[in-house]
Amino acid sequence: MDNLDYIESYFSREPDADRTREFDKKIESDPVFAEEVAFYLSALQVSREESQSKKRNQFREIYQKNQTVDPPHVQESSGGHLKRTSRITPIRKLVYSIATAAAISGIIFGTYTFTNTASPQQMARRFSKEHLQNLGVTMSAHSNSQQTGLTMYNDGKYAEALIQFETIIQSDTSDFTAKEYAGLSALQLNDYSKALAWFNELETYTNNYANPAHLYQALTLMERNQPGDNEKAKQLLQHIVEHDEDGKETAQEWLKKW
Amino acid sequence: MDSSGSFRNTDQEIIEQLRQGGIDKRRSEEQLFNRFAYFIREGMTKHALSEDESFNAYSDTILAALENIRNTHFEARASLKTYLYQIFHNKCVDLLRKRTTNKNSVNRPETISDKLMLLSDTARSIVQKLIDKADWNLLKEKLNQLEEKCRQLLMFWGENYSDREIASLLQYKTADVVKTSRLRCLERLRKLYNI
Repeated sequence: MDNLDYIESYFSREPDADRTREFDKKIESDPVFAEEVAFYLSALQVSREESQSKKRNQFREIYQKNQTVDPPHVQESSGGHLKRTSRITPIRKLVYSIATAAAISGIIFGTYTFTNTASPQQMARRFSKEHLQNLGVTMSAHSNSQQTGLTMYNDGKYAEALIQFETIIQSDTSDFTAKEYAGLSALQLNDYSKALAWFNELETYTNNYANPAHLYQALTLMERNQPGDNEKAKQLLQHIVEHDEDGKETAQEWLKKW
Repeated sequence: MDSSGSFRNTDQEIIEQLRQGGIDKRRSEEQLFNRFAYFIREGMTKHALSEDESFNAYSDTILAALENIRNTHFEARASLKTYLYQIFHNKCVDLLRKRTTNKNSVNRPETISDKLMLLSDTARSIVQKLIDKADWNLLKEKLNQLEEKCRQLLMFWGENYSDREIASLLQYKTADVVKTSRLRCLERLRKLYNI
């Protein structure tokens, strides 16, 4: 490792003439050292390529998912040819992303405001009260059926909101967002079994770039507080932290206070 | 709300989120990708690229932008859209050129080139030959055999994240701990690669 440290130190900052001479000489006179330099640089590049390849795959999944959800519109152009328009990103996806980002930002910020230890149920209730009572900030101005459901939710009409979201799901069984909000509506109604059922459904969307399923499951169990619930919730929170999932910061904070 | 009826973060909000770590950053990457994904269609219509080529050009655009935003090379003199479109346009043109010239040429990445330039001509030539002989597929395979934490460390390193940034992202206590762990992982990779 000494050589790797030396090699890294050479490449990490602008070398002076003496260091360059010494480093070059070592490469020229020591084939093993030259191999190590080549390895260091190859490893750097391969690591970069792997990282970028991973991100590219994530982008491809997002792109393909968006194409599936809302395929490009086909219009007839003035010349009579069919022309595909460029509406790739569905508003629903964008709204979902922003809403979830806002919710999670709230989660992250909110967790830092917890200064005292609390029971899991208290932490869950505090979280629900502070972050899940109003989802409208990032959601307004879309007069679709989902917006109607959100308005009901924000007005505290959770039972109606739940029906609304479940109706949306009936017409589109792949609607991730509707399932998320159906789960949250059920949670607000203290219908924990139903909330868990919807959050369990979210878990099946393994290709989603963002998926708070485990956090919501843990939250529901903590709030329900039946025998065994806290243990299961704790395992879920540990899973979130270990796998760097959505809500990791919240999970860490809760685990600290457990 | 923009003209299409969508709510959007401002350029500044997106940039700030991208410069932060954690979940917001990941979401912001997705938002940035989605926001200008219509460029892919433009690559197909204006540059006559296939959907796959245009997607690759756009993905590379986003990856380049993410790095420049993080490294503060992007100074926000132009809007994000203008900035990204310029990169995207250049990548499309590069792709078209590659199509008409040497499709099989090996594109040696800038990361290595910059570092090789720190060596004398003779030393550079020796190292370059060794790099050309290296089995990158095997190296990638071995990288993927490392445990998750090691792989993450090396991939952040490959993306030019500083040890301090990695410490924050992967919850290490200090940058020094990151450096030691990272070099250990590198050493493990070297042994797996068997040199």
